Amino acid sequence: MTQRAMIIDDSRAMRSILRRIITGLDFETAEAGHGQEALDLMEAGFAPDLCLIDWNMPVMDGYTFITEVRKRPEWRNVTLMMVTTESEQGQIVKALAAGAHEYVIKPFTPDAIVEKLELLGLSGKGIPA
Amino acid sequence: MTIAPEMTDVHAIVEQVWSSFLGDEEPLLPAYDADGPFGADDAWSSAVSIHGGWTGTVTIELSKNLAFSLTRLMMAMDESEALDDAEVADAVGELVNMVGGNIKSLMPGPSALTLPVVAAGRAAHSSDLREVSRFDARWAGEPVRVSVHSPS
Amino acid sequence: MAPASFELIASLVLRETSIIYEPRKEYLVEARLHPLSVQAGCSSIDEYVQLVMRNPVERQKSIDALTINETSWFRDNAPYQAFTETMLPALLAARADRRRLSIWSAACSSGQEAYSIAMLLDQHLPPGWTVDILATDVSTAMLSRVQNARYSQVEMNRGMPATSLVKYFNRAGTEWEVVPSLRSLVRTRHLNLAEPFPMIGTFDLVLLRNVLIYFDQPTRHGILRRIHPHVASDGYLLLGSSETTLDLPADLNAMWDREQIGRVQAHRPATQAASTIAVPRPHPHIASGSLTGARP
Ligand SMILES: C[S@@+](CC[C@H](N)C(=O)[O-])C[C@H]1O[C@@H](n2cnc3c(N)ncnc32)[C@H](O)[C@@H]1O
Repeated sequence: MTQRAMIIDDSRAMRSILRRIITGLDFETAEAGHGQEALDLMEAGFAPDLCLIDWNMPVMDGYTFITEVRKRPEWRNVTLMMVTTESEQGQIVKALAAGAHEYVIKPFTPDAIVEKLELLGLSGKGIPA
Repeated sequence: MTIAPEMTDVHAIVEQVWSSFLGDEEPLLPAYDADGPFGADDAWSSAVSIHGGWTGTVTIELSKNLAFSLTRLMMAMDESEALDDAEVADAVGELVNMVGGNIKSLMPGPSALTLPVVAAGRAAHSSDLREVSRFDARWAGEPVRVSVHSPS
Repeated sequence: MAPASFELIASLVLRETSIIYEPRKEYLVEARLHPLSVQAGCSSIDEYVQLVMRNPVERQKSIDALTINETSWFRDNAPYQAFTETMLPALLAARADRRRLSIWSAACSSGQEAYSIAMLLDQHLPPGWTVDILATDVSTAMLSRVQNARYSQVEMNRGMPATSLVKYFNRAGTEWEVVPSLRSLVRTRHLNLAEPFPMIGTFDLVLLRNVLIYFDQPTRHGILRRIHPHVASDGYLLLGSSETTLDLPADLNAMWDREQIGRVQAHRPATQAASTIAVPRPHPHIASGSLTGARP
């Protein structure tokens, strides 16, 4: 079964970069401009296997989004990967403690996203990478 | 004494952002244009602020041509597709977000990063801010300036 | 670029590293030299090539730009998984008396391969064991990068699990630095694979990954012959994912057993070939002069 990814970033340009990488891996994608919009899409039925999450966004930031997703048992299988310019060691530790599985620091090259998804055993097609 | 990011660090960060998203066929070349390399009419500027363990503002100014070509590159659009100002503002804003976030991580923390503010035209700085670091460069002949200001 | 310039550069790189640039790779050479050319203030690649021929600093820079250093943490993942799940347990059992492992990252580039292995050993080596990791490369620029053990944000993103990033690195300005406890496991040495090897001993695991592809066939075969005595009789040799399918002449083929471990193929010194190790028989189709793969 095709896997689904939600791209959560307030920048359209960044969503476009991530979308090109992720659709290249055969993921189906949805996009949200902030955490609340992503939660709304998930409530409405979009069930992602993977979320790519920016940290600094209006309305609801990525860190809060992760803590919200982790409160919900029905979303426990969603893989959460931060993709953000927040790059202090303390921030990475904080995001991992809140339930993020992986962390990519901006700027990144397309390979970085592909390789991180391999580490997570996600390949888009539902076959382990 | 003001704590300021080193020029070489600012350079390294800008270089990484550039080569990651804009390809490395065309190098980003350091330039030394004392008066600022471009006029106010055909420039774009964007800024983020850092508050907390260290306080300051990171600003990117670039020529309109450069702003448009990097937006096209980031959005994978070709020359024939029309760009609106909102798209350019978005791309230029994301650029300063990446540079600003990485500069924040060099400074004493913890600090928070604001969302970017983008404008057509050169940046205006309030008089209580002083420039503490600056990096001028050219990319495909077009000018870009990254500057860091902090309270004097 | 002019054919004459390409020939000058290609033969320089061949002489220094044995890496082959075929004439249809001109675009690649141009793309890699272009930034250096602009930085040096040259108006064309041809002008830059002239500069390279006179200027040793530019010569080293261009060689470094043309040796492909592409690498990443836990590259391809599967070999590292096979290491922790299969090779390491087997080696721990086989070396229980000595409690010591030795590993060689041949063609180490900037060190990601060597430090990836070091991280796995930190996690899986039982107390009381020691390990020695030798990292070698033909590029001295790369060897100093391994010693400095500092990586840019962009490099860190490439394959480094976030949990290991926070555990094994410290922020150093815009870069990340490997913690001293891992750095002390890795030593470096300059080694050109295309020339006879110095006395470096034998290793329980040799990583010879993503480098054979840049050489011609006699050089590849020469390396696979000469590396044989450096792999312990119960040790492992890992090649890059596209390198395990390379055709080998019969005698060389007989020197190596292939073992499928998960999704990777490991080479292991063949048991019956033990007697042929010291004196490799020349293969009828290969001129004996090319056996070592060394170039004049
Ligand atoms: C593509 S990198 C592979 C790095 C690492 N083994 C990996 O798989 O990620 C190739 C490396 O081989 C090195 N190299 C090229 N020619 C060599 C030679 N003749 N002897 C030793 N190293 C060589 C280059 O300097 C470069 O660092």
